[in-house]
Amino acid sequence: MRKKGSNTGTLLLLAALAIVLLLLPSVLPRFYTYILSLIFVTALLAMSLNMVVGHGGLFQFHHCVFYGVGAYAFALMITKAGLPMWLSFIAAPFASALAGLMIGWLCVRLTKLYFGMLQISLGSLIWAIAFRWYSLTHGDDGIHGIPMPDLISSTSAAYYFIFLFFVLCLLVMYLIFKSPFGMALQAMRDNPDRCAAVGINVRRHQLTAIVIATFFAGVAGVLFAVLERTVFPDLLFWVLSLEVLIMCLLGGWFTFAGPAIGAGITVALRTFVGIYTEYWTLVLGVLLIFLIFFLPEGVMGFIDQRVGSLGRKKVPGSQGV
Amino acid sequence: MPSILNLDLAALGSQLFVGLSRSMILFIVCSGLSYVLGVLRVPNVAHGSLYMIGAFSAFSITKLVAGPAGFWLALVLAPFIVAVVGFVSERALFCHLYQREHLMLLLFTFALSLILGDLVKIIWGAEYKSIMSPAVFDGSISIMGASIPKYNFFLLIVGPFVAIALWLFATKTKIGKIARAAAVDREMVGAVGINVSWVFAFAFVLGCFLAGLGGALVAPTVSITLGMDHNLIIEAFLIVIIGGLGNMWGAMVGSLIFGLSQAFGVLFWPQFAIVFPYMAVVIVLVWRPKGLLKSVW
Amino acid sequence: MLRVENLYKSFDGFMAVNGANLIVGQGQLVAVIGPNGAGKTTLFNLVTGQLRPDRGKVILNGEDIGTLPPHEVCRRGIARSFQIANIFHRLSVFKNVQVSVLSRQKKSNRFFARAHRMAVQETDRILESVGLLDRVDDIAGSLSHGDQRILEIAIALGTEPQLLILDEPTAGMSPEETTGTMALIRKLADTQGLTILFCEHDMDVVFNTAQSIMVMYYGKTIIQGKPEEIRRNTMVQEAYLGGEDDA
Repeated sequence: MRKKGSNTGTLLLLAALAIVLLLLPSVLPRFYTYILSLIFVTALLAMSLNMVVGHGGLFQFHHCVFYGVGAYAFALMITKAGLPMWLSFIAAPFASALAGLMIGWLCVRLTKLYFGMLQISLGSLIWAIAFRWYSLTHGDDGIHGIPMPDLISSTSAAYYFIFLFFVLCLLVMYLIFKSPFGMALQAMRDNPDRCAAVGINVRRHQLTAIVIATFFAGVAGVLFAVLERTVFPDLLFWVLSLEVLIMCLLGGWFTFAGPAIGAGITVALRTFVGIYTEYWTLVLGVLLIFLIFFLPEGVMGFIDQRVGSLGRKKVPGSQGV
Repeated sequence: MPSILNLDLAALGSQLFVGLSRSMILFIVCSGLSYVLGVLRVPNVAHGSLYMIGAFSAFSITKLVAGPAGFWLALVLAPFIVAVVGFVSERALFCHLYQREHLMLLLFTFALSLILGDLVKIIWGAEYKSIMSPAVFDGSISIMGASIPKYNFFLLIVGPFVAIALWLFATKTKIGKIARAAAVDREMVGAVGINVSWVFAFAFVLGCFLAGLGGALVAPTVSITLGMDHNLIIEAFLIVIIGGLGNMWGAMVGSLIFGLSQAFGVLFWPQFAIVFPYMAVVIVLVWRPKGLLKSVW
Repeated sequence: MLRVENLYKSFDGFMAVNGANLIVGQGQLVAVIGPNGAGKTTLFNLVTGQLRPDRGKVILNGEDIGTLPPHEVCRRGIARSFQIANIFHRLSVFKNVQVSVLSRQKKSNRFFARAHRMAVQETDRILESVGLLDRVDDIAGSLSHGDQRILEIAIALGTEPQLLILDEPTAGMSPEETTGTMALIRKLADTQGLTILFCEHDMDVVFNTAQSIMVMYYGKTIIQGKPEEIRRNTMVQEAYLGGEDDA
C-alpha cells in the first residue's frame, strides 16, 4: 500500500514483455506459436481457478467442467444451432457461468471437504453426459472442424486473437483481485467466521466469486475451441482439473500471476515429456508430490519469500498479499 | 418412457434384488473409503486406483492359478497386495504430512491416484480384462420371477458380513476405539502415549485392504479396465457424502439409496438410468446438506 | 440495550446453556463470569448468531435477533472478538481492519474500485486508537499473541458497533499487557460511547472494570448485579469464587 515507487518499474517491465510477446509469432516456428497460444488459454483457465482456490479458499476440485461446458456450448452453438461465431463467442461463457451458479449453489452450502467431493461427482456427471449423449455431443469422438472466420484462421492470427482476450481477462481479474470484493474474498479464505462476524454474507460472496471464475473458465474454453477447432470430452475430465490445480500450486496460489507461470511450465513440460513417454499422468503425480513436500508456496511464492527478505522489491507480475 | 401402470410385481421384485446386490457391491467397495475418511479425515482419492489394483491383481492371480482355486486365492491375496501398496505409500511419504494442513493430505491422495493409475497401465496394459467366477456360482437363482445370478447373491451375503465385521472392529476392539479417538482429537491420543502415526498407518492400510477386497470381489461382475478408478470415485464420493462423512452405516444407507434408485430408474428410463442416483443425491443434499447420518467427527 | 431471556442450547443432549439471562444497558461495561465450561462462549455465540438457540430470546434494542445469521447480527450493531485470535493471518494489519471498515461501508461488493485507496482514514484512525499504527504493513500472522488480540479488537471496531462483545480479551497476556488492554477497553468505552460485554477469568480485571457482573454456572445464570453485591453473595462464593484461585 505504501510502496508506490516500484509501480512504474513493474509497468515498464510488463510493457516490454507485452511487446516481446507480440513480436514472437514473426520469429518463431508455427509450432511454438501454437504452444504459446495454448499456454495463454491454459493460463487463463488456471487463473480463473485460482480466483476461487487460492484467493477464495474454496475446494474447487473440478473446475474444468466449466471450461468444457464453455467449449462445448460454443461448438454446439455454431455447429448445431448455426449461430454466428461472434454471438456464440459471447454467449458460451454465460453457459459456463450458469453451470457454475447451479453447481456452486449446491456446493457452497457445504463446508470445504464436501464442497470438493460433491463437485468432483457432479462434474463427472456432466462429463458422463457429454461422453454418452452421442447424438448431441458425438461422445468420445468430440466435435471436429468447427468453422472459424478467415480473420483468425491462421496460427498467427489465432495467437493475436487469443493474446488479446487473455490480456483483457487478466486485466479484469486483476481489478477484481485488488478491489474490495477481492480483498473480502481473501479474508474469507483466511477466516470465514471472522468475515461473517464483520457483516459479510460469506455464502453469497463465495457464490459470486464462483460465477465469475466459471465465466472466465468458459472464456478459456471458447478460446481453446477457437485454437483447436475441436472439442472433446477430455476437456471435462477430472484429471485435467487436477492438472490445472497443480498449475496453481506450482506457480504459487497466493500470488496473482503464479498460476499463469505454473500453466506455462506445465504445458511446456507436458509437450516436452510427451515426446519421450505416454505416461504424462505419472509425471504429473510425481510433480505434485514434489510440490507438496518441497515447494508448497509454488514458484512465485518461493521467489516472493526470497525477494521479500530483500526489502519488498517488486518482481514483474508478482503480488504478495 | 414406459408407462408406470404396466409394471408388474415380478419386474419390481427383480429390480429390487438387482438394486440390493448392486448396493452391497457399492458398500463393500466404499467401506474402506468411509473408514479412512472417518479416521484420517481425508477422502482418499486414490481409493479408486487401489480398488482397480485389487481387480487387476485378482485377474493376474487367476491367470497364474487356474480354476476355482485361483479365484479364492485371488480373493485372499489381492487385498493383501493392495494393502502392501498402501503401506509402502503411507510409510514412505504420506505419514510425513500428518503435521501439515489437511489440504496437503488430500493433494497427496490426488498425486497417488495419478501415479497408481499410470502404474496399472504400465504393468497390465490398456486392454480390457475379465475374470470368470468359479463354476459353483454359475447360473441364477429365481426369486419372485426374477433371476439373480448366483454370484450376485453371494455378494448380497458378503456385504452385510463385511459391514458387521468392520463395525465390530471399529467399536469393540482396542485398536478400533483408539482410531476413532484419534479422529476426533489426535493430540489427546498422542498425549496419552499412543503413537498416532501408527494408528493412522493402520487405518489407512485397512482402508486399502478393503479397497482391494472390493476390487477382487467385484472383478467377475465388471469389465476390468483402466477407467475403473475414476468411475468408482465418482460414485463412492457421492455415497459417502449423502451417508455422512466417515459413518459406516451412512455408507450402507448411501449405497442402498444409490443402488436402488438406479435399479428402479431402469424401469422408467433405461438409457439414462444413471441419472436417477444423481437426482437422489441432489434431493438428499438439498434436504440434508451434511448427509443423512451424522458424520463421525 | 441487550436482553437475553431464558436462553437454552444443547448439543447432543449436553445442555451447554441451561437458562441464561442477561441485561446489558446502554453504555455499560458488563462482565460474565463463571468456571470453565459454564457456557460463556456458547452464550456469546448464541447472541452473535454463530449458534441458534433451542429456546429463549435474544433482544437487541427491541428486536429479536436470536435466529439471525452472524452477518446480519453484525449489521444490527454488534461486533465481537473471539477467544482464540481470529484474524486474517495472511493479510497485513492494515487490510485486516480495512476489510471490516469496508464491510461497514457496504463496499465489500465493489468489483472495480481500488481497495488500497479506500477507507484509509477510518482504518488509520482505528489502528491509531488501539496503538497499532506503527505495525500497519506487517503480516498479521507475524504479530505477537498480545498484539493479535488487540488487532482482534480493532477488527471489531471497524464495524462501528454499538455493542462490543469480547470473549476473554486478556487470555494469555502478561500482567502488563492485561492492564494495557483493559485500559484501552475502558478508553474505548468512554470516548466512543461503546457498550461492552465481556467474559473473563481474571477476577481482578472483572471487579476493577465491570459495572455489572453476571455469574454463570453450568449454563445457568445464577445472578446479575453490581460488583459489591456479587462479592457478597453466598451462592456465588460457594459455586465459584470460594476456594478457586485465579491468576
